Amino acid sequence: MAPADGGGEQPHKAHRQHKSGAKARKKKGKGKGAAGDDAGGEQKNPKAFAFQSAAKAKRLQARSAEIEQRRLHVPIMDRSLGEPPPFVVVVQGPPQVGKSLLIKCLVKHYTKQNLPEVRGPITVVSGKSRRVQFLECPNDINGMIDAAKIADLALLLIDGSYGFEMDTFEFLNIMQVHGFPKVMGVLTHLDKFKDVKKLRKTKQRLKHRFWTEIKDGAKLFYLSGLIHGKYTKREVHNLARFISVIKPIPLSWRMAHPYLLVDRFEDVTPPESVRLNRKCDRNITLYGYLRGCNMKRGTKVHITGAGDFSLSGLTGLADPCPLPSAAKKRGLRDKEKLFYAPMSGLGDLLYDKDAVYIDINDHLVQFSKGDENDAPKKQGKGNDVGVALVKTLQNTRYSLDEKLEKSFIKFFGERPSAQSKDSDAEGNTISSRKDGQGDEQVDIVNNSNAVTMESNGHSECSSDSEADDDDDIQLRDHNVDLREEVELYNGRLRRKAVSANFQDDVDDEGTEEDDNDNEESGDDQLSEDDNDSEESGDDQLSEASDSDLDGENEKTLKWKENLLSRQRPNLNQLVYGKHSTNLDGVAPEENHDNDSSDDEEFFKPKGQKKQSKNESPSLDDIDAEDCSKFFKAELRDWSNEDLINSIRDRFVTGNWSKAALRGQESNENGEDGEEIYGDFEDLETGEVHMSQTAETAEGNSVIHKEDDPELSADEVDDDKKKSRREQSNGGDYFDKLKEEMELRKQMNISELNNLDEDTRVDIEGFRTGTYVRLEVHGVPFELVEHFDPCHPILVGGVGLGEENTGYMQASLKRHRWHRKVLKTKDPIIVSIGWRRFQTTPVYAIEDRNGRNRMLKYTPEHMHCFALFWGPLAPPKSGVLAVQNLSNNQVPFRITATGWIQEFNNTARIVKKIKLTGTPCKIFKKTALIKGMFTSDLEVARFEGAAIRTVSGIRGQVKKAAKIEPGDMLKRKGENTEGIARCTFEDRILMSDIVFLRAWVNVEVPTYCNLVTTALQPREQTWQGMRTTADLRRAHNIAVPHNKDSVYKPIERKPRKFNPIEIPAKLQQLLPFKSKPKDRPKAPVGNRVPVIMQPSEKKTNAAIQQLMLLKHEKARKKKIKDQQKKKAYDAEKAKTEQLTKKRQREERRERYREEDKQKKRARR
Amino acid sequence: MRYCDSPAAATSGSGWCWRRSRPKPSPSWTSAPGTPRRGSALTRSPFSASSTRSPTATPSTSTRQGTKLRYRPGVIIGGKGLEHDCGVHRGIGYFLEPLILLGLFAKSPIAIRLKGITNDTKDPSVDTFRMTTLHMLKHFGVPLEGLELKIDSRGSPPLGGGEVFLRAPIWVDEGMVKRIRGVSFTTRVSAQIENRIIYAARGIFNRFIPDVHIFTDHRSGSFGGRSPGYGVSLVAETTTGCLLSVDATVSYPSVDEINEDSEKPELISPEDLGVQAASMLLEEVARGGVVDSTHQGLLFILCALSQRDVSKVRVGQLTPYGIETLRNINCFLNTRFDIKPDPNSNTVTLICTGKGVTNLARKIS
Repeated sequence: MAPADGGGEQPHKAHRQHKSGAKARKKKGKGKGAAGDDAGGEQKNPKAFAFQSAAKAKRLQARSAEIEQRRLHVPIMDRSLGEPPPFVVVVQGPPQVGKSLLIKCLVKHYTKQNLPEVRGPITVVSGKSRRVQFLECPNDINGMIDAAKIADLALLLIDGSYGFEMDTFEFLNIMQVHGFPKVMGVLTHLDKFKDVKKLRKTKQRLKHRFWTEIKDGAKLFYLSGLIHGKYTKREVHNLARFISVIKPIPLSWRMAHPYLLVDRFEDVTPPESVRLNRKCDRNITLYGYLRGCNMKRGTKVHITGAGDFSLSGLTGLADPCPLPSAAKKRGLRDKEKLFYAPMSGLGDLLYDKDAVYIDINDHLVQFSKGDENDAPKKQGKGNDVGVALVKTLQNTRYSLDEKLEKSFIKFFGERPSAQSKDSDAEGNTISSRKDGQGDEQVDIVNNSNAVTMESNGHSECSSDSEADDDDDIQLRDHNVDLREEVELYNGRLRRKAVSANFQDDVDDEGTEEDDNDNEESGDDQLSEDDNDSEESGDDQLSEASDSDLDGENEKTLKWKENLLSRQRPNLNQLVYGKHSTNLDGVAPEENHDNDSSDDEEFFKPKGQKKQSKNESPSLDDIDAEDCSKFFKAELRDWSNEDLINSIRDRFVTGNWSKAALRGQESNENGEDGEEIYGDFEDLETGEVHMSQTAETAEGNSVIHKEDDPELSADEVDDDKKKSRREQSNGGDYFDKLKEEMELRKQMNISELNNLDEDTRVDIEGFRTGTYVRLEVHGVPFELVEHFDPCHPILVGGVGLGEENTGYMQASLKRHRWHRKVLKTKDPIIVSIGWRRFQTTPVYAIEDRNGRNRMLKYTPEHMHCFALFWGPLAPPKSGVLAVQNLSNNQVPFRITATGWIQEFNNTARIVKKIKLTGTPCKIFKKTALIKGMFTSDLEVARFEGAAIRTVSGIRGQVKKAAKIEPGDMLKRKGENTEGIARCTFEDRILMSDIVFLRAWVNVEVPTYCNLVTTALQPREQTWQGMRTTADLRRAHNIAVPHNKDSVYKPIERKPRKFNPIEIPAKLQQLLPFKSKPKDRPKAPVGNRVPVIMQPSEKKTNAAIQQLMLLKHEKARKKKIKDQQKKKAYDAEKAKTEQLTKKRQREERRERYREEDKQKKRARR
Repeated sequence: MRYCDSPAAATSGSGWCWRRSRPKPSPSWTSAPGTPRRGSALTRSPFSASSTRSPTATPSTSTRQGTKLRYRPGVIIGGKGLEHDCGVHRGIGYFLEPLILLGLFAKSPIAIRLKGITNDTKDPSVDTFRMTTLHMLKHFGVPLEGLELKIDSRGSPPLGGGEVFLRAPIWVDEGMVKRIRGVSFTTRVSAQIENRIIYAARGIFNRFIPDVHIFTDHRSGSFGGRSPGYGVSLVAETTTGCLLSVDATVSYPSVDEINEDSEKPELISPEDLGVQAASMLLEEVARGGVVDSTHQGLLFILCALSQRDVSKVRVGQLTPYGIETLRNINCFLNTRFDIKPDPNSNTVTLICTGKGVTNLARKIS
């Protein structure tokens, strides 16, 4: 680089290579070897280095392309301009691991200063263009979450002698959810190892564990031990170098939201109201570097752990820790090694918006409190005046405001005529007041800087108003030379130096003037005249301010307004009314419209002025119909030659060069353009004409660049580079995207640079990297009361629509290290965006048909939906769930992680409900089902619903059953409501159970409770809603036990069936195979033996014999009958035969006769 | 709530419901809550009833003596197959303006059929929308493919919308008018009238530019709506792609109006209408700016909604409607414009940074 740059000025001696010697030989050999390899490869075996297979080549190519593509990310536009805010390094680790010591060592390394205590963020200038802000991460989970949200780099401190602790992993998980910043591990306590080998092994083990958690090759830094209670210088130096090379990663959430890490916190509540009510809402100011994106006035902010607040003031301050000037040099000078840590109590000058605070430690300032009797005595003795003064200061009884009220000095020399007199009388004097208790000094410098002493102590204010104005006047010339003494003791306590453009001054002034007027009218003639002259002066100055008839109070204000408008007359004020202070007032607006009209006439084209006059009445008319069309009352006659000529150049048929000029000049710059008038325009016509005609073809962007002289050079360079790049890689999409972004950024810069500072802030907001002061009113007093600098206060801007609350759907997964699954509607603490809140989610999963089914518990290893109520966050923002905030109750506090999918969604969550019933009457395929519904109305609601029996017979609900009085149920006197008539595909049994499957909506509870850890002592665990289990545990209540829900062992009796009886007839017909065989006889076992008496035996035997006889008789009779029958049958057969024969003969005879007759008849 | 009707009105659930933006940072409402003016927001116009179509979309509507309406907008749902009857008090253009904006931020693309008056004297006509407004969106990075506006009959145009990222434009070069196009229409009157309008208008334009084409669109029968009328909508296109449009319409007054007036008002003759429209267009051209006076409000809103980049636009002199919109934007979006007059060209340049509003309603999975 150097020879190329400086080559022109000073010819350097050319390098001469050695032609001989060892070096030359070595070089030659090397070159030859390399060349030989190449050449050899080509010559000897070229195929060895060619592709062997096409498939492999393709694979290789695909792989390299894949790697290339993986490298690419969608380019993110960096909209931050100017100096970047300090780089936040969060030092995190379990307790007693050496976090504070590391910060102290790093600060010492950067600034050569010893830090006694690490409290709050510490900003350090670490390089020529780099600042670092160190933040120690507190040990509780809330602090860890907050710290993870702002970290640009996290240093995870790990106790090497102990190993990893859960805090580290918790913090890693938090960071992963809220956007993963850069992470570096630092091993400490390595000097506890005596054995070197063990140390090495441990390092290796911890490193690999660290890698699995982050990525292979993640940096783990070792701090080997302490020397004099500090880490070794060399190691700290190395660590600092590692920190200095790390670049922050753009994270989408942070890019889209302004936020700041509060490094200074002040309570600016009027002490009087605090005294009256210690628990009154406070006004606080918060200071910090603005990060993320630009912040506009009127943004809503979220203060973590406290809630949402609207900003009542936002001001940019001078950077307390500025980067060194851009002069070329190496390293930093000692003077530039700045260091800013207001919460740590270092840095003794604090610059506020309107004041400078000088901080001196309390132990350095100790004045005994003298009693009232002493004070004058000592003074009389001629004791040290300073001591006396401080004593009086301790006894101050009036607050600053009161003092200001009672002092009557013009802050502005408003009256030109009376100015001299004023300055004589009171301009440079000190008005002071004495009463019984003590003195006070108000030192007011005439022009702008009023230095006022205010003591913060116990006796700072009282609401006494006994002091008369007369006193003041009398005392005006008293302690004239006390002023130096005031300055002498300028730094004893924390105090304020008020400057004149303090906002409240306006009001004060008004009242002052009131006082002034009153007195003066009473007092002397001269001032009366002054008053008159003042009025006349006013009139002269602002001719149009005809509206100040109300009173003199307003008059002064308006008078000023007019001045302001004179300074910056533009359309902005016409449109938006007065400067942001009185946006909401009709009167000022109208009045402004009136009195600015003459000013506007000066600066505005004629047509516009007329329009503004026209519009003012119409704007106030609410009842007018609104329509976007703009009607001009009278249409001009466009056949008029003058008119035609006036717009001739607006057509392509006109003069192109003039038309181009028209576009050009408006772009040039507004301020100048206002003063430019006709003749000048002509003059420029010629000039611009030349350059412009060539460029009109190129379009908008080129024209822009032209008109911004400061940037034009850079941009031309950019253009050149761009074109070169374009040539090199012809139209690569990725590069094109990047170029577009770059171009866009340049356009933004150029447009914004055209504006003046105030307008720019109005339009764009404060830029990132600005040191801003936020004023927030109405903050709960606990925030101030329990303020702990060791816990970071993060103030995040709330985006559009994010202040609303609603339902959100997140995709959530239980953390695999969390021991239990999560139960639906059990409260969990969720961290989304800036906020942390407790809510009761309902878990759900999507069924195949798109139904969202409620889950009682989260699945064990799967994602599920969680629906909950809370302040809305845009989709894709990370969700972190914690159930237990306390430090020692659970091994791993991160409960679940996920991201927001959608909000205000219309998806319903349903759960299954089964209605069961039993038939009470069965017709063929219809049955009346009872017990399923409770009323006929309910039945009507379910008409047509599908039902099913357990056995699988499907059916349908038809209608509520009509129960006649004669029915069984009616007779039994049972309830007949809710009996449904249902039909089935088959006849069901009385023993069947019928059920109806339905889905019922589940309401997500609208519960959301902000975790307000900042509003309570930090050591106290925040207590929100407790889970049911916690409550039961606390109250020692057993889990309710439904006996019916208990699973019992199923008892199934083997069912007995009767044997099939086959009728004997059928049995006979059956083939042998199917005939019932081996049928068990009637069981014998259980017959009772009958033992008879002898008499019984006898009778029995007799009966038996008789029976035998009877049977024998019957048998014989039967045989006889059979014989008889046989004989009879034989007889019968014989006669029958005879009859048959005879009948046959008869028939033959008859037939013959008949035949004969027939024949006869035929003849 | 300060304003009874917000421009970001939205739907939830079944149908469409939105109110027309009523830009009015009128402090009187806040300072004196009891004044009858507040109620006027509800009772002000007959068309407010037609624009709040589905009352179910408003979760909490509390009316205390008819003086207060609380509306809590949800998420813009969008969807297909929507239909809305715009009534006869205002033209469809009145409804289209906010609808286009809402469509850009809806959960799903919008296809809606609007029924009502396509051309009237108060509101921008649908021809203007088709020819100018939709093309304006091009400058904000909205692809034109998703947008469509079809005039089924002179009475019911549907519109397609999409979901997009708005790009912040720097759009200051007005260019020169290179051609003039237009559409004239007649409903239920003789088609000859159109020719008379066109003839008259061309007569004016001939002095400036020869490239003038005005198309005719004669509708008869059921396509011609229910009442007779004629009108013309003209667009001037510049070399840099800016479109300036005007429209003028003549319609016969409705029966009840006639009864009130009890005398038949004079209608403008087609020739006069042509001359009027042409001179209005020339007026717009003379006024300058990248959009015409009708579209100022829409332009400003789009700029304010766009990405966090700087937008710079040039318009002719600010219209009351434009100013109202600017105030409204300041009030709702907390975005201010820097307004600089440019005396040479008699135009106004506005600069703002966008709010970076994205369509958050869309679901990600």
